[in-house]
Parts: sequence; structure tokens; C-alpha cells
Amino acid sequence: MSDIGKVRLRVPTSIKPGDVVQVRSLVIHPMERIERDAQGKIIQKNYNYINKVIVTYLGKAVATFDTTQNVAENPFFSFTFRATDPGQLKVQFLDTTGGRYEGTVEITFS
Amino acid sequence: MTEDLLVTRRTVLRTLGALAAASLVAGVPGTARAQALGQNESVQEAMKRLFGDKPIKDGAALIKLELPLIAENGAVVPVSVSVDSPMTPASHVKYIYIVADKNRIPVVTRVTLAPEAGRAFMGANIRLGESGDVRAIVEQSDGTLLQVKREVKVTVGGCGG
Repeated sequence: MSDIGKVRLRVPTSIKPGDVVQVRSLVIHPMERIERDAQGKIIQKNYNYINKVIVTYLGKAVATFDTTQNVAENPFFSFTFRATDPGQLKVQFLDTTGGRYEGTVEITFS
Repeated sequence: MTEDLLVTRRTVLRTLGALAAASLVAGVPGTARAQALGQNESVQEAMKRLFGDKPIKDGAALIKLELPLIAENGAVVPVSVSVDSPMTPASHVKYIYIVADKNRIPVVTRVTLAPEAGRAFMGANIRLGESGDVRAIVEQSDGTLLQVKREVKVTVGGCGG
């Protein structure tokens, strides 16, 4: 459980200016499912799951995922962005309990 | 003594009731907000809520939806969508929706893309409750809606509730 919020980002090792780069991201998170009581009624509570993933590159939002509980545990997302300048790529994961987990990677050209 | 007990019990009950009401009031808005996108509804309702009466065209020529034919474990189903789009500020893919028809909460995710993404692509691991269609719906910057769907067979469901 202590791993909750660990973010892993994977970018290709060699990026050239102008490339469209595919990034894979993963966060360790339980993504609680809906629970039901014995009568099959949904238990009302604040389920802890990630409902927003924001990807920014050079400070601009590239992709935003609005997610529901239908996303698997330890959610994995992939997306692309066009690498124009060296800079920071940041992925933020927000959950329903106010948790904010982020991972960053410096984009450099080789 | 009996009266004392009665009063205590009544007070306790009343307090409990008040507490329950308070927690309901406090709990509902939070849940409603969190569930704004994903609600417990039928897929028809979900589509109506998201897209209203706008026509949805068949997007088989442009959208590539990658899904396993058979998902052995419904708890983790990899899905990826790529759309043939120039991704320029004038013409790009604005949203990609993933909708699983048979899930109790049909809307899985909505991806908002900016032209800087370079390519209209998204991938994620999703949950599927049972065998059924999975749709990818794409909204382009001019408002056109395109849809593709594929059936996935699920051996073990992964949605619990």
C-alpha cells in the first residue's frame, strides 16, 4: 500500500526534434470498485479512484484523461506528443480523495 | 429508571438519525461530482447524456480500435485507439471516448486532446464486467462524431459491482 502514487513514465531513448513521441505511464493506485451490500444496493461512499490525468509538455496541456472506476487497478495510460523543444513532460494523476501524484521526465534531443 | 432509559435511547436514536442525515448531505455532493462522467445507467442513457441527439457516423475508415478478441481477465483489458487525423489547430480530434456497453457504469474514459499531441492516440487498461461491445467515439474539432465498436468476450468479469 505504501506504493500508492508511485508514477512510472517511459519515453523512447532517442528523440529527434519534431518527432511524435509515444509515452507510457503507470501509477500504482487501487482504483476502488463500486461495492454493493447484501441487497445489491450500491454503498454510498467516496470511492478512491483516479478521475483525472493531466499531461503537460512545456507547461501546456497535451492530453487530459477523465476516467471513471472502469479503469483497471494500477492504471496504465499511453499518449503521444510532438517533441518540439527540450523541456519537461509532466503527468499528474488526481484521485477522488484529493491525492495528487505526478511524474516528470526531461525531454532532451540526442 | 425506565423513563431515564427511554429518554437516553430516544436521544441516542435522534442523535444517530441526525448524524446519518448529516453524513448523507455531506456525502452526496462529493459522490455526485465524482460520478459526473461515469454514472450507473444504461448505455443508451449514457450516449444520450454525452452526445444528445447529434448523429454519430461510422468511423471505421478513420478510427483504429485495438482490443483483444477474448479478454481472459476482465479486470485488465488493454485498449488503444488511434485516429487518422492531421492534428492541426484547424482540424484535430478533440475527444476520444471509450464506452463499454455492458458495464454498469458504461463510460470508461474521456480523453481530451490538444493539437500538440501530434497524433490522435490513446491507450489505457480498462475493466470489463462481461462480454459485450466496446465503443470508441471520436469527436473532432468541427463537432463531427464518429464511432467504431468491437465485441469482446470476457472470461472472468472484472467490475465487481
